[in-house]
Amino acid sequence: MEFFRGALFPMKIKLNNAGLILSVLVALFFCGPRGWSQPNGVKHASDFTSVEYFAAPHQQQIKSRLSGAEAQPQAGGLLVIKQLKLETFTMDGKAEFIVEAPECVYDTQKNAANSSGHLQLRTGDGKFHVAGEGFLWRQNDSFLTISNQVRTVIETGPAEKTGL
Amino acid sequence: VKKIFLILWFAAAAGSWSHAQTNTNTVLQMPREPTRIDSDRADFDIAGHKAIYRGNVRVNDPQMKLTCAQLVADLPQPGERMNHIVAETNVAIDFVQEKNQTNHATSDQAVYLYNVQKGVTNETVTFTGHAKIETAQGWLTGEPIIWNRVNNSLTARNQKMIYRQTTTNAAAVNTNRVSAPK
Repeated sequence: MEFFRGALFPMKIKLNNAGLILSVLVALFFCGPRGWSQPNGVKHASDFTSVEYFAAPHQQQIKSRLSGAEAQPQAGGLLVIKQLKLETFTMDGKAEFIVEAPECVYDTQKNAANSSGHLQLRTGDGKFHVAGEGFLWRQNDSFLTISNQVRTVIETGPAEKTGL
Repeated sequence: VKKIFLILWFAAAAGSWSHAQTNTNTVLQMPREPTRIDSDRADFDIAGHKAIYRGNVRVNDPQMKLTCAQLVADLPQPGERMNHIVAETNVAIDFVQEKNQTNHATSDQAVYLYNVQKGVTNETVTFTGHAKIETAQGWLTGEPIIWNRVNNSLTARNQKMIYRQTTTNAAAVNTNRVSAPK
């Protein structure tokens, strides 16, 4: 088993979405800079990070950062990702949302991730936290569906009232 | 006579709300429990900053409990708070006033709005569609009923009040005496 080690970060891959970034990741498995292509071998990446930047004129600002402990290519353009972490940022650099899942399957053709397992989402300020079981993440329109047992906790300051 | 009923009822209610607000202010000095939302499933439009909770939605808040079939919330920007929430279908809200007096509100839809304009805080819950609030004094219906959470007051258009016949509230007893046919 060969390992493709080393983080992609801070390579400045200016792509439209993380799905394309993952596509590049898949491509790197087979056409890596060191010519590690081994069609008959089982390959995976570990401790990878990839970033997406805002469009000009904010091309220096990170829009999202995708990382994982392991990515295992599967047939049909699928990737099994372990310890997925997706972070999105506002244009002024503040952490906006953090999504974490122990394991999921990413479809590089549909730019979508899904899992029957656990998922957590929280805002950058930590005041809004969501957890659930089973999810579908559509990267193209940044849409997340949590299928079961959705639990949200909203922290408010001592001097604030809550919403409803 | 009907007008007198409403004035008396709102006077009693306003007194209760004022006490409730006093109590609330006391509570606000203490650490606050978080708000919890549970549902069968949920959609999050990350780019659109919107959360849609579906199926058996339950909101558990130190100040009230809510159940409904669907709840749509605008996700706050970093450092901000939720300012627009819409609860739909079989909405039921229980909120406790002084002396553990629980009010029970039901409607087809409830819309929470929060904003600060020119230094003035506006925070309301608007009940529409078969809106009804049950209190210790009786039942209030209207279209809509607006719960102003800043001063804990209730206002309603096309309101109708039905009083309980057996009550220990002094104001309500007097009201009943006035309303009882001779």
